[in-house]
Amino acid sequence: MSNSEMNISEMLAEQVQRLFSARIDRDTWVHAEDGELDSDLWQEIEAMGITLALSDENAGGAGLNWADSEPVLRLCGVHAAPVPIGETTIAAWALSRAGLEVPEGVLAISGEIFQLDAQGRLQGQDAQLSWLPVAGHVLVAALREGVTHLCLVSADAGRQQAIDTLDRLPCASMELENVIPLQTAEAPFLDELGLRPHLAALRSMQMAGALARVLDLCVEYANTRVQFDKPIGKFQAIQQMVAELASQAAAAQVAGLYAARQVDAGNASYGAAVAKSLVGRAATRAAAIAHQVFGAIGVTDEHSLHYYTRRLWQWRSEGGSEHWWSERIGRKVLAKDGAHLWQQLTAPIGA
Amino acid sequence: MTSPFSFKPLQLPSSLEPLRLEARAFLAEAAKDWSGWKVGHSWTGFDRDFSREVGKRGWIGMTWPKAYGGHERSGLERYVVVEEMLAVGAPLGAHWFGDRQSGPLLLRLGTEAQRQRFLPLIARGEASFCIGLSEPDSGSDLASLRSRATRVEGGWRLNGRKVWTTNAHLCDFMIGLFRSGGQADTEKHKGLSQFLIDMSASGIEVRPIHDLTGEAHFNEVTFDNVFVPDDMLVGREGDGWAQASGELAFERSQPDRYMSAFPLLPLTIDALREAGTDDRLASRRLGEAVAELAVLREMSLSIVGQLQDGHSPAKEAALVKDLGNLHEQRMPDLVRELLDCPSSIVAADRLSELQAFLVQNVPSFSLRGGTREILRGIIAKGLGLK
Ligand SMILES: Cc1cc2nc3c(=O)[nH]c(=O)nc-3n(C[C@H](O)[C@H](O)[C@H](O)COP(=O)(O)OP(=O)(O)OC[C@H]3O[C@@H](n4cnc5c(N)ncnc54)[C@H](O)[C@@H]3O)c2cc1C
Repeated sequence: MSNSEMNISEMLAEQVQRLFSARIDRDTWVHAEDGELDSDLWQEIEAMGITLALSDENAGGAGLNWADSEPVLRLCGVHAAPVPIGETTIAAWALSRAGLEVPEGVLAISGEIFQLDAQGRLQGQDAQLSWLPVAGHVLVAALREGVTHLCLVSADAGRQQAIDTLDRLPCASMELENVIPLQTAEAPFLDELGLRPHLAALRSMQMAGALARVLDLCVEYANTRVQFDKPIGKFQAIQQMVAELASQAAAAQVAGLYAARQVDAGNASYGAAVAKSLVGRAATRAAAIAHQVFGAIGVTDEHSLHYYTRRLWQWRSEGGSEHWWSERIGRKVLAKDGAHLWQQLTAPIGA
Repeated sequence: MTSPFSFKPLQLPSSLEPLRLEARAFLAEAAKDWSGWKVGHSWTGFDRDFSREVGKRGWIGMTWPKAYGGHERSGLERYVVVEEMLAVGAPLGAHWFGDRQSGPLLLRLGTEAQRQRFLPLIARGEASFCIGLSEPDSGSDLASLRSRATRVEGGWRLNGRKVWTTNAHLCDFMIGLFRSGGQADTEKHKGLSQFLIDMSASGIEVRPIHDLTGEAHFNEVTFDNVFVPDDMLVGREGDGWAQASGELAFERSQPDRYMSAFPLLPLTIDALREAGTDDRLASRRLGEAVAELAVLREMSLSIVGQLQDGHSPAKEAALVKDLGNLHEQRMPDLVRELLDCPSSIVAADRLSELQAFLVQNVPSFSLRGGTREILRGIIAKGLGLK
């Protein structure tokens, strides 16, 4: 990473942090959970070029790699940003890598694999596509004769049906039948899992951010809530729980960045598997701890904690659950003899 | 909000691969006849011959100056060798404490004469060190210790009792923390000093303490007017508390804080393959363990990098030890979940012996080097809990 890149990535993270702090609050969340995209906020985001961070410079992007962009994607979780920055950023990255044009507006990405027939028509379905109801376009990975392709379709190209999720953000199922994509290109940088690893990496980074905020909320609350004449943070039982939460949050942060580094090195599936397996389980434990620390107020609608814990519960299932990814790692490990495990763990990133 | 943690990634350069392969080849040969029981001991296992072999290859004191018998190699080269050793459960105990803890302490704070005398011995695998901190009434509350060092002509007289001293019965030297002034009740952190103690000195008695496996690794060490000459004071008189705390920082977060049970996994994989068990539960549980290992290793590497850059990420190191201990303590139970382990210990069966040893040993993982509760207290304070 050169110095100038470092500066761009740090500058971008700072800008995003300022924007989110100023623009995201409870009203923004409530609005989004009513199914609306905050179009003013979205326009500001597009104007700042945030969603093009990963795209090639000749496609108008900043040309950052995934590791450089990790702070921004994590910030989306820190603020529970109710805007599809991550999805749009990844879609734009994949499009520009495949030499395709990046359209304006919200882009959704599917973690499923579709089929592309000899006539160039798409078939397949995704039972749950985040942000589809407010997206202009959807990027899907599709197989044609064993080769992975990327296809861009209009968001209204297929049948869609709104579905309910724990985070209550706009979401729908999508079914494509003989749809001719707007753009298609081979995508040799994707493996047989298509965009699922990238979606899983994104969710891992967002969860790491949400966990950091949950930790922050817990520390603040423990230092102010008084019972038995002292802040509850003085009680060892609370300190021990919060420390455990901190361990989970720290591991999640490292795991999210690890996934990003593996994507950069061309090993997206392994990086995503490691990250999603760990972060999904971290989210489960951490959410339980956080609600315990907050007592009754934490489970009320009025309190902001649930905007984070509901997202954690939602995101741990998206892009492949922690169990799905763990099983995949396990199957790979069991395919070779025991001695191979240590070789795999010590292999350089990308191998 | 910026991150509450610092975990800048460190990527091991590929130039380290030849060293890794060299260590791996050496270990593959050496480990051929190790029993599961021996493998389970890993870094506490005491095998002087093995340590001498390791010393000959230049793998002890790797980062120390050549003038002191070291090899002036990088911390990353050392990391690679250490993790290769732990991956096979090599018996490091005869040199590990000197290499990890006592040597670096002397390098930092010892006198020139101390360095010249002890460091080359450690590096050759000839001198073993034990750590004399704990006492019967001072465990977690280490600063409350009462063993005394009294000034006498030309040196000090030591009196008192150390306990849980790993391998004291086999070691040549101890670095012991004693109260050289001040009162345990009123001035806890003041007046503690560290001494380099020759374990063959008269007045020292080492009594084994049998542990629940039936073996005796740790000991009670009593000091009855043991004379220590002036030049065996380590660092400054009265600075022992800060020195010992700094020394503990070397101990936390290293790969030995999450790899103690690692050798179980390859054996489990082979057993599952042999049994033809290809079920989803086994895959999921193994996958979880592998994901944890991958992330723990990234965290541990990051801390090595930060220490090399001159930072002291205390909170992060405590986090890694806590997570690492949880991981390594779970491993024997994972084996019980996935394999039909017999309720007896099958002689000469590596997996069975290793499993049996670890089931009984894992409780100690979150005690040694600071208990889980003490570490979580450090983390909570580091986060600003009042
Ligand atoms: C295998 C093994 C090897 C060891 N080797 C060495 C060695 O070589 N040299 C050496 O000096 N020591 C050694 N030790 C000792 C080890 O460092 C101590 O066991 C450890 O520091 C805990 O002290 P303790 O056993 O006296 O437990 P205690 O301090 O009595 O603690 C008992 C329980 O109370 C908890 N507790 C205590 N204080 C607090 C608090 N303030 N808040 C919350 N909980 C608390 C502890 O976490 C623990 O759960 C070894 C221990 C083991 C198990």
